[in-house]
Amino acid sequence: MKIRVWKSLARGVLLDAIRRKDLWVVGILGFLVVLCAGALGFFGFDGLEVFAKDLAVSVLGGFSTIVAIMVSSRGMTEEIKNRTLYPLLARPISRFDLLFGKFVGAVVATWVSFLILAAMTGIALSFFHVHFEAVTLQYLFLKMIGLTLVCAVGQTLSLVMTNSAAITTSLIVAFGSTLITRALGMGYSSAPPSMQAFFKALNAVLPQYGLFDIGSRVSYSGWGTAPLWVVGALTAYAVAYCGFMFILGWTKFNKQAI
Amino acid sequence: MVKAALPIAFAGLGIATYFTDAVMTELQPVETPAGLEAHETNAGASLLGQFRTNFSSWLWLRTDLYLHNGVEMRVLSDSEMKAGQSGVGTGDKKHWDDESKLVTVIPPKERDFRGIFGDIERATSAFKEMKGHDHNEPQKALPLFRLMTWLDPRFIPGWTIGANVLGREKNGGFDRAVAHLQEGLASNPGNVEIMGDLGVLFAGSDKREFATALTYFEPIVRKKHDLTKLSEEEADALLSAFRWTAMCYRETGRREDQVNCARYGLMFFKDDQVLERLSHVPSLLVNPNRRAKDPEPINVDSISADQDHEHAHDHDHVH
Repeated sequence: MKIRVWKSLARGVLLDAIRRKDLWVVGILGFLVVLCAGALGFFGFDGLEVFAKDLAVSVLGGFSTIVAIMVSSRGMTEEIKNRTLYPLLARPISRFDLLFGKFVGAVVATWVSFLILAAMTGIALSFFHVHFEAVTLQYLFLKMIGLTLVCAVGQTLSLVMTNSAAITTSLIVAFGSTLITRALGMGYSSAPPSMQAFFKALNAVLPQYGLFDIGSRVSYSGWGTAPLWVVGALTAYAVAYCGFMFILGWTKFNKQAI
Repeated sequence: MVKAALPIAFAGLGIATYFTDAVMTELQPVETPAGLEAHETNAGASLLGQFRTNFSSWLWLRTDLYLHNGVEMRVLSDSEMKAGQSGVGTGDKKHWDDESKLVTVIPPKERDFRGIFGDIERATSAFKEMKGHDHNEPQKALPLFRLMTWLDPRFIPGWTIGANVLGREKNGGFDRAVAHLQEGLASNPGNVEIMGDLGVLFAGSDKREFATALTYFEPIVRKKHDLTKLSEEEADALLSAFRWTAMCYRETGRREDQVNCARYGLMFFKDDQVLERLSHVPSLLVNPNRRAKDPEPINVDSISADQDHEHAHDHDHVH
């Protein structure tokens, strides 16, 4: 019964993404990737395989993160802003169901966008005989898990701040998390013990998006797949972090007077 | 009276302005400010220029990653140096090229406070301990040099380092390196770094074509130089050109030119030991005709070693 509700809500988010031409944008971006690869081929592609793969995973990661943030951040705020939340909640749907359905929808829309982009990029690269290894599949899987994490953070932030602020914060966290982690690492050794504890706490709280991106192992040769325990640990981490974010958002949404 | 004085005053002012302009032209010659090009006066060209400059710089950084198969390396921050970590710091620019002193961006386990997060990152990223590490073939990065010089023909390292990599190829590497540098020279006429590298290719390789090398070195060293207007890389290239020119003169038996060149170079690089040695000809005077007939090979290693110690050069990026 519940699954039907979540499914309908998720379908609504996906249709909304199509109606808003989000997927079209992704398709056009994918086409541009193919076009750029074609231009690269025109000027000579020999030896540029590593560069092409490097560029492809960077573009894939960047665009799919933006889509994830846009779709997840606007889900609830648009419902409240357009007052379509009232007829929804007038039905036998709990706030938990609404939030979870929206989250699933955002994740599905993001995954669809990501897979479209990945397919277009894959086609473009295969024109130039770029070889794909098993690590590529692992990359796709871990990236999808990572995008789920981005959606969870995006949706929760949209419940505690305005839509624009949520998008901006999500973008900063998503694209800056690795940089922040590096800065913490550099500052840790020279920091006083009290600050070291703070650095550790901050690092534990920050979403570790960078860990889900194994693009460098895909681009450069000879690295192979990551060990299975790592994939398992990352999946468990994503489930725990998404759960924590979801509970945080749900608590806020429950207290919210509508 | 006043009516008569006014035209005279204006005429005087005009003459004074004319002479002032003439004097100012001498004192302060009209020069295009460094970097002021079309891309800084036109918005569209500016955007395009910034894109190509940024993109070629990005490609330049990627070449280092190519050589290390994706492993990112960095220098230590000032606070890390103060905390007692061993390595090369941000302020020690001369040793940035000494990779044995660089650390990996992803820290090894013993330097990482993140616990399992650190373990996972090392397992999911391109990471390995880089003590005594090896490198990928520089040729793998060659297409990047081609791409960056195509995008931004004014990006000098793309030409010089690209030629260095090309020159290492066994079959036709020398010719391709020369062609690459000459293409660069066509886009950057008179550039001291490109001309210097062309000269080194001819003088330092198996070719030992000192006369050809001098056609590239001489225009550089004979110019009037203002070191304050040269970048660090250009100053290094100029010093190298002085050394090589004097060496070429020595190898071709032109000892007077050798001494003059070295002394002229010492006017700009007062403390340079190589030029100091070249500015004297003690052993040659014993038998002045010996070298002209049977030239000893140029001790390339001694020059390179001196340059490495005294002026860290970008070429060291390529191994």
